[in-house]
Amino acid sequence: MAGMLTMAKKEFLDIIGEKKFMLIFATLLIVILVSAYQGGLSYSESQSATGSFTFESGQGRGRVGNTTGPVMVFGSAQSLSNSLESMITNFSLVGGVLAIAISFDTINNERQRGSLKTLLSYPIYRDSIVYGKYLGGLLAVTMVSVVSFLGGMGLFISVTGIEMTTDTVLRLAMFFGVSLVYMAIFLAIGLLLSIVLPSPSTSLLASMIVWLSSIQLIPNLGYAIGQILYPVRMTFSQTGEPSFTQQTGFTTLRTIISGLSPSTAYENIVNSLLTTSSLEFTSGTPTVTSISVTTALMSSLPSLLYFVGLLIAIFAAAYVVFMRQEIR
Amino acid sequence: MASVIEIKNLTKKYGDLLAVDHVNYTIEEGEIFGLLGHNGAGKTTTILMLLGLIPPTEGTAIVNGVDVIKEPLQSRRHVGLLPENAGFYENLTARQNLLFYAELADVPDKEASERVEKLIDQVGLDDKRGVKVSAYSRGMRQRLGIAQSLVRDPKVLILDEPTQGIDPEGTQDIRKLIRTLSKDRGMTIIFTTHVLYEVNKLCDRVAIMKNGAIAGIGTIPELRKQVNADEGEDFEQIFLRYQGVV
Ligand SMILES: Nc1ncnc2c1ncn2[C@@H]1O[C@H](COP(=O)(O)OP(=O)(O)OP(=O)(O)O)[C@@H](O)[C@H]1O
Ligand SMILES: [Mg+2]
Repeated sequence: MAGMLTMAKKEFLDIIGEKKFMLIFATLLIVILVSAYQGGLSYSESQSATGSFTFESGQGRGRVGNTTGPVMVFGSAQSLSNSLESMITNFSLVGGVLAIAISFDTINNERQRGSLKTLLSYPIYRDSIVYGKYLGGLLAVTMVSVVSFLGGMGLFISVTGIEMTTDTVLRLAMFFGVSLVYMAIFLAIGLLLSIVLPSPSTSLLASMIVWLSSIQLIPNLGYAIGQILYPVRMTFSQTGEPSFTQQTGFTTLRTIISGLSPSTAYENIVNSLLTTSSLEFTSGTPTVTSISVTTALMSSLPSLLYFVGLLIAIFAAAYVVFMRQEIR
Repeated sequence: MASVIEIKNLTKKYGDLLAVDHVNYTIEEGEIFGLLGHNGAGKTTTILMLLGLIPPTEGTAIVNGVDVIKEPLQSRRHVGLLPENAGFYENLTARQNLLFYAELADVPDKEASERVEKLIDQVGLDDKRGVKVSAYSRGMRQRLGIAQSLVRDPKVLILDEPTQGIDPEGTQDIRKLIRTLSKDRGMTIIFTTHVLYEVNKLCDRVAIMKNGAIAGIGTIPELRKQVNADEGEDFEQIFLRYQGVV
């Protein structure tokens, strides 16, 4: 499409030339490296814990002991998802901020400084402008993700010495892919707000509110609504002692509502993609069931579809509004 | 001479406000055409419609033989625009900004870099070519805007208040540039301004707008005659007559 790549290239250069970009990029990189390192340590500990953990039958509680048998079991139950948990959380926080910082003023800044009319006076389609600008943002975000992932994973692998099986590589690649989509969603949110709202300061505020909703408000809302609709049941035993039971509907509802938040959806998807095994106690004996990539992928499929659908919906909204908007 | 621009019943309404009110005229090839009028007369609105940037409520315009409503992209292929209050990418230098626009206009790379350097000299930004626009003064930005409007080597050049914010020396340079582009290259140039001295010096023909409509159109002598101006009256007084002030 005429002008799209030119637009994308310029946008990319414009983005990476900004101080705020470099600042947040550096923050993200540091946070990812630190959490990957810590994750690596905890993974190694759980693997080399020979002789330091055992299980008391029937209680499922770790205790210092000397047996070797169950220890290995516990070790391999440490999924990638546990070790990388803080890396995932940090990425969902800082990655979202970075994407918003890139895109919150995409269109209204052009409008405000008076370059949008110049741009549109060239023989290019309006489509090329939205696509090109979004593409430029995506390039910046991809660059950031590649660098932080290579750094983070490199550190994790060197600390743990984890074997790079096809399975592991596949999981990490999917982790990377989903992280890209996650940033693409926030990029699209910023783009939409920059089109709908006239001034960059307003769209920045609005973007931050969306981000906050994603990491805090929606998950909290899920909890609150769950509580209201499925309150905790209090029952009394024969001796008059109260006991509390959470109704099953609560968890379901809470999961569904929280999962609407891109950040929760992201964390859920990545966690299940990185879950290599699960630890269960069947009649007191810990058993480890390993979970294949395919199973992990299938179980996160609904969230994954929602995730991609959300991206498409937000971008489509931005596109439609921009195409219909008068430019002055 | 062939008409390069035909404005047909062109109208723009904003709610009840008639920003441009059923306007008809043509602009001939190679002409320097001045578009005048009070603040809010409809000059900028007319220009934006000529480029297909805002849709007319009624009517249309033919630019270089192409209808701006039916084929907006094609119609602006050979048109250069300096918009009112043009802005640039602050993180990029003058050169980078202009090269970006050249690329948008499909100018081949080698030609683009030569043209960009030449334009930077022509608008008097030679000592600023490698400096980021964020460090430019208002007048420098305006000069860069003029260079931008020429980067695609247009047949028709539309300038919305080209000399605003530019110092007297620069203004003179820009006037010279406009004259050269018209005489040597046969470029058709349309510009709006509030500096009537400029109009007197440059324009082959002038249209004076009032509340969206054309109050008068023609050469300066023709405009004089239409309002029966005295010998001694200068163009400013004539303009004010058309605005209904005098
Ligand atoms: N987006 C808009 N919404 C509503 N009215 C508008 C809009 N843009 C312009 N107008 C109105 O249209 C009329 C014409 O405006 P225009 O910008 O064409 O004037 P102008 O002749 O260029 O004035 P100036 O000399 O101040 O640049 C004005 O009354 C203005 O208020
Ligand atoms: Mg104007």
